Amino acid sequence: MTTCHARCVQPHPPERLLWLHRTVAAILAALAAFFVAVQPGRAVETSPPALQRSGDVGAGSLLIRGDDGVDAEATRLGTDADLVVSGPTIRARITQVFRNPTSAWVEARYVYPLPDGGAVDTLKMIVGGRVIVGDIKERREARAVYEQARDSGRKAALVEQQRPNIFVNSVANIGPGETVLVQIEYQEPVRQSGEEFSLRLPLVVGPRYNPAPLVQSVDLRADGGGWGAATTDPVPDRDRIASPLLDPATHAPVNPTTISVRLQAGFPLKEVKSHHHQVTIESPDAATRVIKLAEGAVPADRDFELTWTSAAAEAPSVGLFREHVGAADYVLAYVTPPAVEPRTPAQPLPREVIFVIDNSGSMGGTSIIQAKASLTYALGRLQPTDRFNVIRFDHTMDQLYPDAVPADAAHLAEARGFVGSLQAAGGTEMVPAMRAALTDRGGDDATGLRQVVFLTDGAIGNEQQLFDTIAQMRGRSRVFMVGIGSAPNTSLMTRAAELGRGAFTHIGAVEQVEERMRGLFAKLENPAVTSLSAKFSDAVADMTPAIVPDLYRGEPLVLAARLDHLSGSLEIKGRIGDRPWRVTLPLKNAAEGAGLSKLWARRKIADAEIARTMRQVSPEDADRTILSLALEHQLVSRLTSLVAVDATPSRPDGAPLKLTELPINLPAGWDYARLMGEQPRAVPQPSPVEQRRADGGRIQLADARRPIVTSPAPGTVKLPQTATDADLKMLLGMALLVIALMATMFNRRRLSPG
Amino acid sequence: MHPSTMPHRFLFAAAILAGLALAGDGLWIKAKAVLAQLLLERAFAQTIATHRDVKPWSWADTWPVARLTVPRLHAAAIVLAGSSGQALAFGPGHVEGTAEAGERGVAVYAAHRDTHFAFLKEVAVGDEIDVTRRDGRTVRFRADAATIVRFDATGIDPSSVRPELVLSTCWPFDALTHGPLRYVLHATIIAEEASSGRIDTSSPPPSSDHQSVDP
Repeated sequence: MTTCHARCVQPHPPERLLWLHRTVAAILAALAAFFVAVQPGRAVETSPPALQRSGDVGAGSLLIRGDDGVDAEATRLGTDADLVVSGPTIRARITQVFRNPTSAWVEARYVYPLPDGGAVDTLKMIVGGRVIVGDIKERREARAVYEQARDSGRKAALVEQQRPNIFVNSVANIGPGETVLVQIEYQEPVRQSGEEFSLRLPLVVGPRYNPAPLVQSVDLRADGGGWGAATTDPVPDRDRIASPLLDPATHAPVNPTTISVRLQAGFPLKEVKSHHHQVTIESPDAATRVIKLAEGAVPADRDFELTWTSAAAEAPSVGLFREHVGAADYVLAYVTPPAVEPRTPAQPLPREVIFVIDNSGSMGGTSIIQAKASLTYALGRLQPTDRFNVIRFDHTMDQLYPDAVPADAAHLAEARGFVGSLQAAGGTEMVPAMRAALTDRGGDDATGLRQVVFLTDGAIGNEQQLFDTIAQMRGRSRVFMVGIGSAPNTSLMTRAAELGRGAFTHIGAVEQVEERMRGLFAKLENPAVTSLSAKFSDAVADMTPAIVPDLYRGEPLVLAARLDHLSGSLEIKGRIGDRPWRVTLPLKNAAEGAGLSKLWARRKIADAEIARTMRQVSPEDADRTILSLALEHQLVSRLTSLVAVDATPSRPDGAPLKLTELPINLPAGWDYARLMGEQPRAVPQPSPVEQRRADGGRIQLADARRPIVTSPAPGTVKLPQTATDADLKMLLGMALLVIALMATMFNRRRLSPG
Repeated sequence: MHPSTMPHRFLFAAAILAGLALAGDGLWIKAKAVLAQLLLERAFAQTIATHRDVKPWSWADTWPVARLTVPRLHAAAIVLAGSSGQALAFGPGHVEGTAEAGERGVAVYAAHRDTHFAFLKEVAVGDEIDVTRRDGRTVRFRADAATIVRFDATGIDPSSVRPELVLSTCWPFDALTHGPLRYVLHATIIAEEASSGRIDTSSPPPSSDHQSVDP
């Protein structure tokens, strides 16, 4: 048309008319043809649903990033863990030795785990004979400082928190043949359960399964109505929690680790036991032990777990510790409520127990054996009055019964068969399984105990989605987490159990199954200590937890508080079963403790993170609280990092710097082949559902994905045609009108004289 | 007048008429969808009051069976019996052979993406969906998943054990032409309550056995 214009300006009527005539006719013909084409049944799809492109991150990719850089000539790491237990607290010093045997300048990055409740407060970098002490800074600022030092050739170390239990150390400018030591220190409370005290030192981050982002650039039409392009990745930081993984079949284990623990329990000790490592134990006196690894260094491929008990006939049921820092006093209290037998022991409350078992690829090897043994044991503990159901999941899931069934012999036999036949394979889509388990068919007003027992290694990267699900759907259900395997994700277990108002336990070996499951069942079966409250008589206290949760049998109440002055007493009240219970602790008798202020701050930060998950406070307010606590107490958090920079440049100008991601071992007992096979099969046809809220609002369709139907099942419902031609007709009608009117006007102007 | 302009005149007039007819028809479809709902609302209120199916107008070949509301979006529609094209022009249709909402099984409601179910793309997982049935009872569902399926491979099992609700419409939402894909929103029952107006004693809640499974 445009080409025509210049020519058509001259009056040339016959040719001109012919052209107009043809144009209008052609338009009408095109419209007619279009109408025939769009008749229902002869569907002309504008575009198929956007499926994942093969080049994309793909469906649920595992955190493995090639295995380059694991040849013999690569940066290597050794770790030394030095732990001192003083009564209620653990002070740990982790020294990581970065050795660069290559002839290039290297930047090393190492992803490692720390205990969930650990408060990281110190970073030291040791280069040659010099010690450079790190500063706490806001995360972004710390990274900027680090990157600037790196680019200017100076040595620098950066500690960042990726999850409450996953940290990343970056070390810049390690020269050829050089060794740099990075030392971090953290404070952690001792864990108590029943008569047993314990510490757990995780040594390897089990590779996490990250659900694929469901939204994969849905681009239906170039001029699309403006919705359909939002992307929500359930694991936005998938790259930052990944490490190259070594296949134990072809590589010798790396990351040798030495561990020593000085245990000063504060009371005479009876049994001290390392569960997964051979150790030697010395006893300088009745209340002290020195524990070392029997065979020197071990590969970092499983958690170190140490438990101890008191020599006294009754375990200490109360502990009270204090510390004075700045203008404030800090108090840490452990109180174990007495185990009171219910007055009418004959009638255990009927329960509904939903068992959920993870049979994904990361559970392959010994984990699935432990999980199956645990579940089989649990089934045996059910009473005939109980009701139960079993759900298994990998990237798909199955529910044994549509609804909970009575725990009679026939159903139990069926369930045992179901559990026995499970094989570990596939991805880990935990959120739909949790949703299914929390879906309470009893209705909103149902009462009675409903318990979800969830057996998993927690090897997922989208923890937050799981927490959101529990917070949203828990209703009357209580969630009990059973952490399986040599390197479970303890942070996930702890917080899921906390949000689900339940408890958690670890099972790291088949031998532990019976003992630990018995302990868990004692908790499941016994009435919790409820309506707990704590009050300081004189002092103004900022206490954590602010609202004291219910306790299970044998669990202590662990309370940390900041006081304006240390006087008066702490009174704790509650109900055990149907009886009131009360205990008063005079504060002046508290023993001196170390690092309590940090523990208090760390727990306040965790509380703020939970309040954020529960939407009790706005994310901005929670972040502000976290930031001020972390900066005041010098702690690494989601929002703060430690950074240490050497003042003098070491890398000559122009010498290139190579980034090395240090490889990790496969956690002990994991099955490499199964793990690598964990990539779920390509998702068949139409599962990608686009998220339509750019604001990332409430929709988490990933949470709600159902098993995908691949073929039309018989009896499936057919859906009617549900689109009218209204929009199309209006659009075409308007187009036709506009064209006709324009043509008429054009024609008239041409014909008008002059 | 130049004689040769006459054919063009006709052509232009024809084009204008066709355009008006097309646009008008499109508008009429939309208007019908809105107007019918007003009449249906009245008929449904009568249905609840009299416990009898009431046709919205004498020559109608369908009748209202439920009122669907999504409180968060302030969206509401009267659902009609059957999913024939005639029914769907006036409101969402209750697909033949699927359960009544709140009974065991899946109740499937389908409606046009550009009229009654245009709001479906705004429904988020977690949203509550209320269905008021003919007997005046209101059943509350919660949206828990959305999928996109072919119309003949929906994966909807009509005989599911618990009460479920499925809302379906054509997909993609902003397409102009028809296609084989359907957007399917699954919702699960979360509560059932008697109508706020009158308490119906004549018909006990059909799914009460389900609700009281675990006291």
